[in-house]
Amino acid sequence: MKRTFRLNRPVYIKSGFTIVGPKEGDGNFGDRFDIVLSDDLWCEKSYEKCESKMHRDAITGAIKKAGLNREDIDIMMGGDLLNELSSTSLAARNFPTAFLGLYNACSTFSEAMLIASMLIDGGFANNITCSTSSHYSSAERQYRFPLELGNQRTPTAQWTVTCAGCTVLSSTPPKRYNCEVYEDDIIAVDKGLQVDDKTLEKYKKSVEKQKLVIDKGRSNIIRDNFAHDNNDYGKANSHYAVVTGGTLGRVIDLGIDDEANMGAAMAPAACDTIITHFEESGLSPSDYDGIFTGDLGRFGKQTLEYLLSKEGITLPTYYMDAGASYFTAEQKTFQGGSGAGCINTVFNGYILKRLQRGELKRILVVPTGALLNKDTPLQKETIPGISHAFTVESRPFDKIDTKKYS
Amino acid sequence: MLERKEYQKYVEDNSPKSPMTRTLFAAFVVGGIICCIGEGIGDIIKLIFEDMPEKEVAIWESCIMIFLGSFLTAIGVYDRLGRFAGGGSIIPITGFANSVTSPAIEYNREGVFFGICAKMFVIAGPIIVFSVAASFLVGLIGYFCV
Amino acid sequence: MEIFLTYLKVFAVGGLVCMLGQILINKTKMSSARILVLYMLLGVVLEVCGAFDYIKEFAGSGITIPITGFGSNVAKGALEGAKADGFLGAVAGGLRSVSAGLTVAIVCGFVFGLISRSRSKKM
Repeated sequence: MKRTFRLNRPVYIKSGFTIVGPKEGDGNFGDRFDIVLSDDLWCEKSYEKCESKMHRDAITGAIKKAGLNREDIDIMMGGDLLNELSSTSLAARNFPTAFLGLYNACSTFSEAMLIASMLIDGGFANNITCSTSSHYSSAERQYRFPLELGNQRTPTAQWTVTCAGCTVLSSTPPKRYNCEVYEDDIIAVDKGLQVDDKTLEKYKKSVEKQKLVIDKGRSNIIRDNFAHDNNDYGKANSHYAVVTGGTLGRVIDLGIDDEANMGAAMAPAACDTIITHFEESGLSPSDYDGIFTGDLGRFGKQTLEYLLSKEGITLPTYYMDAGASYFTAEQKTFQGGSGAGCINTVFNGYILKRLQRGELKRILVVPTGALLNKDTPLQKETIPGISHAFTVESRPFDKIDTKKYS
Repeated sequence: MLERKEYQKYVEDNSPKSPMTRTLFAAFVVGGIICCIGEGIGDIIKLIFEDMPEKEVAIWESCIMIFLGSFLTAIGVYDRLGRFAGGGSIIPITGFANSVTSPAIEYNREGVFFGICAKMFVIAGPIIVFSVAASFLVGLIGYFCV
Repeated sequence: MEIFLTYLKVFAVGGLVCMLGQILINKTKMSSARILVLYMLLGVVLEVCGAFDYIKEFAGSGITIPITGFGSNVAKGALEGAKADGFLGAVAGGLRSVSAGLTVAIVCGFVFGLISRSRSKKM
């Protein structure tokens, strides 16, 4: 029984694209996302519709940024937190591509990345999109209470991040420049669908409305590509990122039954996956420049460090939990962010750019998920956790190797 | 890894706790103020309708408070109050109105029938069921024992 | 001066009732529905054993505005109904006494449900 694997040939990360809500735009990673919305309804009638639209446009943006067309994508993989993956499925109906819906709660992103890189490695596909999304307001009403209910959040609670992100994995190396994305490219999805003129008009109108918002000083649509320091458009990347392997997680349950304390429920799963990864790959924490967990939150992060120290493993100094770092302290999210899109947007918006600049050489991304629904805690079930890890390495551009290496 | 028991104890001991002083103080002040508003409404009714019986005043008072709770929920104020005050805004009758109105507002996108009407009692349902059951029980006691 | 004292009593008792609820929230992680039910039943019990009227005499709205007042009304209605109209009164009396409040709650919920939208939270 071996859970860690190493890919036979490099699986290239072509591009990453992120869309986040207003609160996330004010957070710590705010200036690193491609689109920051000024309104988390995005001219839609419900939060679920908005999430689906964000998901769709994240996929479109990522494909465009990679310099590909929709027809070049072989398989789409993705998931979200809503019942029956509704927002992902509804987003996928806009594409002519084969679609695989995945669910591993908040670790769906790493599940998608691992399966996609295996498929590319095996030669079954050339380009695959891995996308996830989550929305605070839709998750809140599905898992917890109506938004307007005047209850108090416990200090262990986390804030579901409103965001969608997409990574394009490919068997061919990426270009040195990211392709620019314009709002027309996103509208083109509707054009490709051949919707009636009325719907297209409506959508165009909603984009124009967003243009008005940009004039007020708050960017709502695609950012000015050259203006921003942290933006990766138009700048040559010195490095490119490849997925080289990973460790599949198993479901771990240490009997936490408080659904407001997800960090504690997920930390043992992350601990198990990290230990297994180091044992089976023969590597040690010092071989990595950074380790990133998904959405353990501040307490979950502390718990993971405690669990690993009991096993005699010290994490590298550059250990970051995406959820715990997502928001600033003033935003009062208690434990920080959570949700399927949390690690996805941090990876695509922040980590990937650092890899492409060569600042990080080899990293381990370990998103975690809590596997529960609204009924299981009522039936006195405890909350199991799961965690999949994948390794990403960055390589300088002059040494591109498409040949197999062992 | 740690044993289940050991881990649960660690989580129990180390999880961040609600700050007692601050939350209790907020609940006390907000709860007290809401009750005072109720009393004030009763006093105003008594001033306007001098010969209204005490019992009717009480009914009017609670109806107006329920309306206020519902209204504040609809304009998006009550949830912020609840964030701050916790028990201080849950326990007064306005909190009951909030628990009826908030799901109605939340689920109105699923339509009037299966959205608003069906989901209206997802939180307040137990309160109504328990109060009807309790009233039946008390009524039986009153009928047979007194 | 007297009116000030009245309001002080209302404030103190109402605040205390809510504060006890907050202790439950902090210590047991009960959801708001459970706390409301618990307090409603507390009102019923206080009414049946006769203590409610004494507290009401002292604190007025301090005890009737919290959901305990709802519980006490239900119990009082049922007892009075049993005394006045026999068995049918015992069955119907509880809801009769709170019917106005329930109607307002449901109608307001329905109307606001039609016209209002839930807003996303900033914090």
